[in-house]
Amino acid sequence: MTTHLDHDPQHVDTHKMPVTPTHLDRDHKGASALVATDVSCWFGNRQVLERCSLNMEPGKVTALIGPSGCGKSTFLRTLNRMHEVVPGAKIAGTVELDGQDIYGEGLGVTEVRMAIGMVFQKPNPFPSMSIRDNVLAGLKLSGKTAGDKDELVEESLRGAGLWNEVKDRLHDGGMSLSGGQQQRLCIARSLAVKPRVLLMDEPCSALDPISTRVVEETVIELAEKITIVIVTHNMQQAQRVSSQCAFFLVEEQKQPGRIVEAGDTGVLFTNPRDQRTLDYVTGRFG
Amino acid sequence: MVDDAPQMDDSAAMLETQAKRKVRGLTRPEWVEYAIALVAGISLALLLRTLLDWDDLMGSAIIASIAFIGTHYLIIRERTSPDVALDKVVTTVMWTIAGVIVAMLLWMLSYVTVRGMKLLNWTFLTTDLSTTGSLEEGGGALHAIIGTAEQVALATIVVVPVAVLTAVYLHELKGRLAGLIRFVVDSLSGVPSIVAGLLIFTVWPGYAGIKASAALAILTLPIVTRASEEILRTVPDSLREASLALGAPQWKVVLRVVLPTARTGLATATILGVARMAGETAPALYTAFGSASVNPNPLSGAQSSLPLFVWDLIRVPDQRQNDRAWAGALVLVIIVLVLFATARWLSARADKKLGRR
Repeated sequence: MTTHLDHDPQHVDTHKMPVTPTHLDRDHKGASALVATDVSCWFGNRQVLERCSLNMEPGKVTALIGPSGCGKSTFLRTLNRMHEVVPGAKIAGTVELDGQDIYGEGLGVTEVRMAIGMVFQKPNPFPSMSIRDNVLAGLKLSGKTAGDKDELVEESLRGAGLWNEVKDRLHDGGMSLSGGQQQRLCIARSLAVKPRVLLMDEPCSALDPISTRVVEETVIELAEKITIVIVTHNMQQAQRVSSQCAFFLVEEQKQPGRIVEAGDTGVLFTNPRDQRTLDYVTGRFG
Repeated sequence: MVDDAPQMDDSAAMLETQAKRKVRGLTRPEWVEYAIALVAGISLALLLRTLLDWDDLMGSAIIASIAFIGTHYLIIRERTSPDVALDKVVTTVMWTIAGVIVAMLLWMLSYVTVRGMKLLNWTFLTTDLSTTGSLEEGGGALHAIIGTAEQVALATIVVVPVAVLTAVYLHELKGRLAGLIRFVVDSLSGVPSIVAGLLIFTVWPGYAGIKASAALAILTLPIVTRASEEILRTVPDSLREASLALGAPQWKVVLRVVLPTARTGLATATILGVARMAGETAPALYTAFGSASVNPNPLSGAQSSLPLFVWDLIRVPDQRQNDRAWAGALVLVIIVLVLFATARWLSARADKKLGRR
């Protein structure tokens, strides 16, 4: 980081050149579109997803539903390159964030994951850090800098609907919170790096009904600013929070999962095109 | 508030009056069974003692226990079922073994304490043996305490970073050489301590405390490495995933999340390694060699250590020197006990923090 380079206009220009975008636009404001095309996944030689294509529109909540083991979590993990963390995992197809392939050459994995955040099934705050440090963990871990940290902490915790409960105890350990609070802390932690998309993998499955409601309200509020993709087993939840929905299914055992039907949540739940979707949403199986 | 208070008292009183069911401990028939079996066992042992004219107390005790367990099994089987009887027998055996182990430990500790307390005082901790003749009073183990402290500290400074980095390579990076390295580490942990000392003696001749440190490092490196690897295993994968999903490169995941989470566990592993080093004699035999005076410089010249001090003085046919050896042994035991207690306390605190208990 010499001053020499910083003053070099050519250098600055190459960074912003749109022709060969090897960097994501860090100053991007607002929600982004996420488009998956023909995504297939393998663990070793076992194929778990077959040509899944889905258009996740900006500023909307897309729910991924389907019975257990149908590949919806795997699909979600391909959307921020977490699938490849598992040894032996392979992937085909493209995932585009505002038209830019996140698996494209020159684009760093860490950059993708900063732009596309993730909240996991089980709350996983860092036990060695305080509530405040948990929120700021993303900055420290990714090397980003923030202007006003206190402001960022408050903004993120407010975004996750947790601020009022923890504002007086920001220096307590992250594990001192209840399960529902821990999950909202994890949401706040994801929000602090200002993602353009937030992926949620059954975020309420470990929570009680009241915490679930708070998290759902948070999701609906967040959708105004960022794109959300949420995996859920709970069909009522899918109806409550999402405006779009994709139904995943494994038709026969040992077959890969496919997207049977995707579209407007209201239509999918009341008037689906496919008989299997109808069977699932009306509770005939699954 | 005023209205609430009496109500609270009422409910508390109601809870108080309800009789608690007994779910633990022994019922009266069980007591009787134990008593009968015990009497039977002791009687048989006494009978054999008289008939065969034995006077070996240990043998009688073993016969009595076996007879006790056998009789107990038969009685319970009559009253209930073979399964229940077997369960009782195994329970008894387990408690007996645990009792024997604890008794042996207490016996050892109290023996060392009694023998060691004779000479353990402030003088013992603050003087060396350079000017004290073997029959004179006074003198102490200061030179050995300093030696142990320096040798162990030097070895620890080398062992801990190397061990933790190796453990990170084995468990976090899971590098291509992980299998080979694990094999080497396991093999290294089988090296006899005298061989480690011989190796240093051969490749790095001459006497100095730091050479004992080198031998100790060879011995403890595999122990601390494997212990650290086990500790890293206890860090939940969900934390690693959470960090990666935030856009962290792997080195930052390790540095900022995994190691801080495992901090207390790693400290425990280190302390156990240190305790092991403090008690090793053989690696210091031809490396530090031992000396009767304080040598504060670990880089050159013979240096004593507590195990060497004990070993040197217990071989001498002289009561006073032997008493000094016992006092040195007591100091060593106290140091190791304090280290172990610290390790236990640290890991208990870590468990609590991670919400495991």
